Amino acid sequence: MNATIEDVPQRRSAFRRLFRDGAALLALAVLAVIVAAALLAPWLAPHDPFATTRQPLLPPVWNEAGQWAFPFGTDGQGRDILSRLLYGSRLTLLMGLLSVAIGGGIGMVVGMLSAFYRRIDPFIMRVVDVLLSFPAILLGLAVAAIFGTGVTAIIIALAIATIPDVARVTRSAAVVVMGQDFMEAGRAIGLSDATLIRRYLALNCISSVFVFLTLRFGQVILIGAALSFLGLGAKPPSAELGMMAAQGRDFLFFAPHVATIPSLTIFLIVLCANMVGDALRDVLDPRLRR
Amino acid sequence: MATTALKATARRLLAGGVCLAAAGLVAAPALAQSITVVREVDSDRYDPHRSTARAASEVLFMVADTLVSLDYDMQTVKPGLAERWEVSDDGKTYTFHLKDGVKFCDGKKMTAADVVYSLKRWIDPATKSPVAWRAGEVEDIVAVDDRTVEYRLKAPFSELLYQLTQSFAVVIDQATVEKLGGDFGVKGFNGTGPYCWVEWRPRNDLKLARNPDYNWGPPIYENTGPAQVEEIVWKIVPEENTRMAAVATGQSEITQYVPYSTLNTLRANPQLLVSQSDAAFWTYFAGFKIDREMVSEEAVRQAMVLAVDQDAIAENLYFGEVEPAHSYISQAALDWDKDLDDKLIRTDVEKAGKLLDEAGWKMESDGFRYKNGKKLSPVAYSFAGSTWQKLMEAMQGDLRKVGVDLDIQAFDATIAWGKMATQEFDVFGMSYPYISAGDALNLYFRSANTPTPNRMNWKDPETDELLDRGKAALDPETRAQAYGKVLEKVHQAAVWIPLYHEPMKLVQTKKLAPVKPHNIYGCGLYKGLDIKFQ
Repeated sequence: MNATIEDVPQRRSAFRRLFRDGAALLALAVLAVIVAAALLAPWLAPHDPFATTRQPLLPPVWNEAGQWAFPFGTDGQGRDILSRLLYGSRLTLLMGLLSVAIGGGIGMVVGMLSAFYRRIDPFIMRVVDVLLSFPAILLGLAVAAIFGTGVTAIIIALAIATIPDVARVTRSAAVVVMGQDFMEAGRAIGLSDATLIRRYLALNCISSVFVFLTLRFGQVILIGAALSFLGLGAKPPSAELGMMAAQGRDFLFFAPHVATIPSLTIFLIVLCANMVGDALRDVLDPRLRR
Repeated sequence: MATTALKATARRLLAGGVCLAAAGLVAAPALAQSITVVREVDSDRYDPHRSTARAASEVLFMVADTLVSLDYDMQTVKPGLAERWEVSDDGKTYTFHLKDGVKFCDGKKMTAADVVYSLKRWIDPATKSPVAWRAGEVEDIVAVDDRTVEYRLKAPFSELLYQLTQSFAVVIDQATVEKLGGDFGVKGFNGTGPYCWVEWRPRNDLKLARNPDYNWGPPIYENTGPAQVEEIVWKIVPEENTRMAAVATGQSEITQYVPYSTLNTLRANPQLLVSQSDAAFWTYFAGFKIDREMVSEEAVRQAMVLAVDQDAIAENLYFGEVEPAHSYISQAALDWDKDLDDKLIRTDVEKAGKLLDEAGWKMESDGFRYKNGKKLSPVAYSFAGSTWQKLMEAMQGDLRKVGVDLDIQAFDATIAWGKMATQEFDVFGMSYPYISAGDALNLYFRSANTPTPNRMNWKDPETDELLDRGKAALDPETRAQAYGKVLEKVHQAAVWIPLYHEPMKLVQTKKLAPVKPHNIYGCGLYKGLDIKFQ
């Protein structure tokens, strides 16, 4: 149950097991394709995602009236949906990644400190409790009210919303590690607190935190899209999936593709992230392994 | 799939409707009907002097009457509670002769004293009416006898009769106002309108019942007698597609609040009728704060006006249902200067680029223009919500083509008004209803009206003087001339980007006789005297 650091062979087999899980592998592949497409957006996008044309609400190619010049059709302003989708996933993924990284990083430090210094533990955990009682959307509204709307505000809000959960998960993992003999031994040979935390505590907690963050990534994207949908997110003309879905809402009755294509993309990203996270937990969580 | 489900629901509802109609026919002939009007927003209250929302006026026109009424052409003043009136030669005294036999909803007789009370309450500083200025500079309003009211002005006010057709000038009952206090127009109302106040549930619905004794309707209607439906329910439905579904399924008989995108679908529906007013008296525009560095140059503003493609906006965003605007007020409005028709700025992207080049704003490799290291990126304050977001984005798209980076900042309506009263933006988006050139110009271009509604900071002594001259004019020619000059001035200075004029559109079931849309303050049903089942 312990000593995962030097256990290299076991970890290799963990990845092998991950690749044996067909569904997870497929999810990983889809996610990889989406990430690659987003990264390569400037080269892949057939049009300028912000250029308006006089052909609004053109249907996608699978509709008879569709044109190959605009494979996914155009939105209400006559902009190419495929190009906006590529740039939009970029922003959405970046938003998810950054907020999870920032929130996860801070949360992990807070959780470890809480487990390491038992005296400040009750205080930190009560603060975390308070933070946990705010829904992420409400936090987003508050942050937007302070910093104004925009991607930065959303990232801040999502990062803040991620901190308490991660702190909790880290703390519970760290408390177990703190009870191990090697921590005691490390202290006995005179290692500093910083070294103990960095080299032993952090490395032993990271797998559970990582799994949690993978699962959290999907949620964060979903909440981010919701905030964007409410008009708190990306500023026009930048493309963001939640915002694109919101803009398509008005045309739902006769040009459903404007809203459904970005919505489906969000769905796909979140689903794949969750499946990969699930599979990672299965292979990395020692308790589930048995 | 969603459409089939919707159609099924529609069919079911329709079937239900037929049964109900059949039941109604058996139970009571002719008048036993109630109609539901769906709309987007409610008013905070229904006090004519304290509410300026269109939502309030819609109801006030129905529950109360004005001295004079406005014809469909938005130019002809017709009798209302006054059967006739005279204006003194100096233009300072208006004498109104009231109709006989007018009664309030509670049965009390309406007299000149009630008119005086209502108009005086409007201008009383204690009322704090935001629209008191619309009454002109009043010296006194007196009841000469029971049926004669004298309206005395300190200075002539050529707009007075038009202003008196608005819902702010309706006649209300003093006893009811005093009895209800702060709850007047919330818990109750007492007017002389074709409909009487029944009950208001804020943000839900407002019920009105027919006033059976009514026979003093304005002559613009064929029917000047009692209203022809028993009950009108104004129902709030915030979501536009839900409102569309409500008229399509017969839950609402008539409304002006359906999205433009669905009008063609609704037109194709054999049970529905879509009608439209001839002219449009609600204009959407983006204004420049002309003393801000970024947009202080006339050439820059002109270039931005040239860059925006109003025809494309009307076509792309509104499916051709609105009138692309190149003028700041409708060209059909009273006192519009016809000489300006050919001088209006029309879309010309090339010329816009040239103007910017000449003004020293050079295009850089990133596709935007810079001058002295500063990017041409004006800050635009806008309302959040689909209408303005779409409009702003369309403008942003057009301006990108000439190298202008419009920085859109959208705010929820609750804070947007406050934000737009500040000096921190270059461009703002706004829309407004008006009756005439004078009405629009006096509101937006008086230097005394800064910071709002003159958010442009247009401070020009000559404009003020011309506006005064127009306001005090004793004959229509002088007035038209003065206002025409102001129109020319502001159009030339490119202080607004006009976007579109919105015509009044009504969608109604064919079970109702065709209702003619009115443009007064954007209230398409006006007094509702022509609403009846066929």
